[in-house]
Amino acid sequence: MAIGLTLTYLTTKVPNFAYGSFVTIGIYTALSFYSLYGISPYGALPFAFLVGCLSSVGMYLGILRTLARRGSSLVALMIATLAIDIAFVGIFGIYSDYLYRVYHIIYATNFPQLPGDFSLFGVPGIAFVAPCSLALITLGLWTLLTKAKFGVAMRASIENPSLARVLGINVEAVYVFAWMLAGGFAAMSGAYYSLWLPGGIDVGSKLIVEIFASSVLGGLASIYGAALGGVIIGASEILITTAGVDVFGSSVGIYQKGIPLVLMIITLLVLPQGLVSLRVGKILRLTRKLRSFRLSKYLRLRGT
Amino acid sequence: MDLLIIYAIYLVVSLTLNLEAGYSGIPNFGKAMFVAGGAAVAGSVSGRLSAFIVGISYSGDYSNSAPIIINRLNAALSLNPILSVEILLLGILLAAGIGAALGYLASYPAIRLREDYLGMLLLASAQFFQIFLRSYPPVIGGVQGIEIPDFFGWANTGPGARDVVILGVVTLFAASVYIYFERIARSPLGRTLRAIRDNEVASRALGKDDVAIRKRVIIVASAISGMAGALLTFYVESVGPDTWSRQDWTFPFWVIIILGGAANNSGVAVGAFTYAFILKTTDRAKFLLQGILPSTTFNYLQYLTFASLLVLVLALRPEGIFPEKPSLTLKRQTVAAIIETNANGLEQKPDSSAKENS
Repeated sequence: MAIGLTLTYLTTKVPNFAYGSFVTIGIYTALSFYSLYGISPYGALPFAFLVGCLSSVGMYLGILRTLARRGSSLVALMIATLAIDIAFVGIFGIYSDYLYRVYHIIYATNFPQLPGDFSLFGVPGIAFVAPCSLALITLGLWTLLTKAKFGVAMRASIENPSLARVLGINVEAVYVFAWMLAGGFAAMSGAYYSLWLPGGIDVGSKLIVEIFASSVLGGLASIYGAALGGVIIGASEILITTAGVDVFGSSVGIYQKGIPLVLMIITLLVLPQGLVSLRVGKILRLTRKLRSFRLSKYLRLRGT
Repeated sequence: MDLLIIYAIYLVVSLTLNLEAGYSGIPNFGKAMFVAGGAAVAGSVSGRLSAFIVGISYSGDYSNSAPIIINRLNAALSLNPILSVEILLLGILLAAGIGAALGYLASYPAIRLREDYLGMLLLASAQFFQIFLRSYPPVIGGVQGIEIPDFFGWANTGPGARDVVILGVVTLFAASVYIYFERIARSPLGRTLRAIRDNEVASRALGKDDVAIRKRVIIVASAISGMAGALLTFYVESVGPDTWSRQDWTFPFWVIIILGGAANNSGVAVGAFTYAFILKTTDRAKFLLQGILPSTTFNYLQYLTFASLLVLVLALRPEGIFPEKPSLTLKRQTVAAIIETNANGLEQKPDSSAKENS
């Protein structure tokens, strides 16, 4: 999920508050396919991707670009994304009411996780599929950005839009493409989400804590960082909570959502550029220094 | 009546947001947290305290037994107006305190981060605060919320009398906040705030301590938001976690400010009225159209309406109904008079001109 947010942030430099709602789009696509046609969320995946792409591009072209062209400030654009998020909640609400009235699906506003998952070695299949697709997406993006011509153009227009424009790259098309991918990934993760956890109209809005935390932890300027951040946030949320429950009893379980927030605050204050800004070389040099220090001590000991 | 009370409370919160976002350029996307903080502490303390003072014992936690003892509490409190008012004031003060404390916490990142990071952080914090209220029962009873006794029970002498009293209180509150903020805006401090918003480096070069000023703005605005939350709680006699969502307690104030015009208090007053009016009329329409459209659909339609309204205003008239006014300068004659008196005074007291320049 965080990958998409980072993509949109990279291109337009606006934190997209409506991003969580793209996840909800995926959830609702999965729900409609499941309850209307009995197709499992895996089957709904491509459609979720498509719907996510379309609405994301629509949002970018229809609202954000229009506003940006009229010279809106950063804060104004942020407010606009907030408004879009609220509008999405409204749309999902109306849609679920519609589902209820027309198809008599009573649980449309809040529903349990959808069936249709297969199991592998006694573990739900989603536990394998989701990490695999994360790896695939990261790998795919890496290939696109480093090997393909279009990807290189993308990187160029992210790093220096005016220079890229001079070189004849259609920067607008690149941005639209990035937003499309972002919406698609979010909706896809929404479809996965519906297999694992209960869904509802404001799930996406509530997920925003984790999504922002992952992106910030990874460094808002790096796609790979976002993938890494997502894994770290997800894992720490579960691991720290489980550890906390073991130590302090079950009452700490409710603070689960606080962990990403705390991590995010720490990251922002200590390492505002995110994890990717850590210089690998610097760390290596530090450890080498440490090692040689110990070694010399050891040698001196032997010498005496 | 309800419209006016809601209007006054909305007005107060939007004025605080206007001070932060409009004048000082701090994009507070977590307003819900500060209002909720005030409401939660007022709700959670006042009920327990009044039960303790009146001497009604209950078993287990207050939030669970509140529905059972609430009638006896109300009866006792309505006979004792002084006690009611005391607890009311205490609740509001506590709310201001917790608002200020939350504001102090928020100011720590606020003075260090860029707008976009800060916006994300505050939005996420507010979301977490709501989750915290929902999942931690001792504060306001977890998911169901908490019922609190009626501290305006003594005013309930005739039909609607309670509402009139509450309206008086909130109007007084809103009016004083308005006057206070208007005075801030017209004072040298108000110009300093705008200077910091428009050009941080230049204002720092002129010797303005932007960090300290921003911190104070956030703390004051949050404390007042907390008080507004407490008043709302006392008006509706209950508080629950689901009220404090982003949709209902952060977003509307941005709509109000953008609609009315940022950094313009009278614009905000008009914006708040427009918002409250649309909200309450559509609520009435919802009631009338119950058979045709389910009321939940109508709520969602309201969200949709306000969201599109906001985007439209942003696109077509970004400065709002009333644009920001340039700060007023003194008339030429007045300035001349001041210079003249100074020149005269200078011969006797050399220091008197320093006061005028500061």
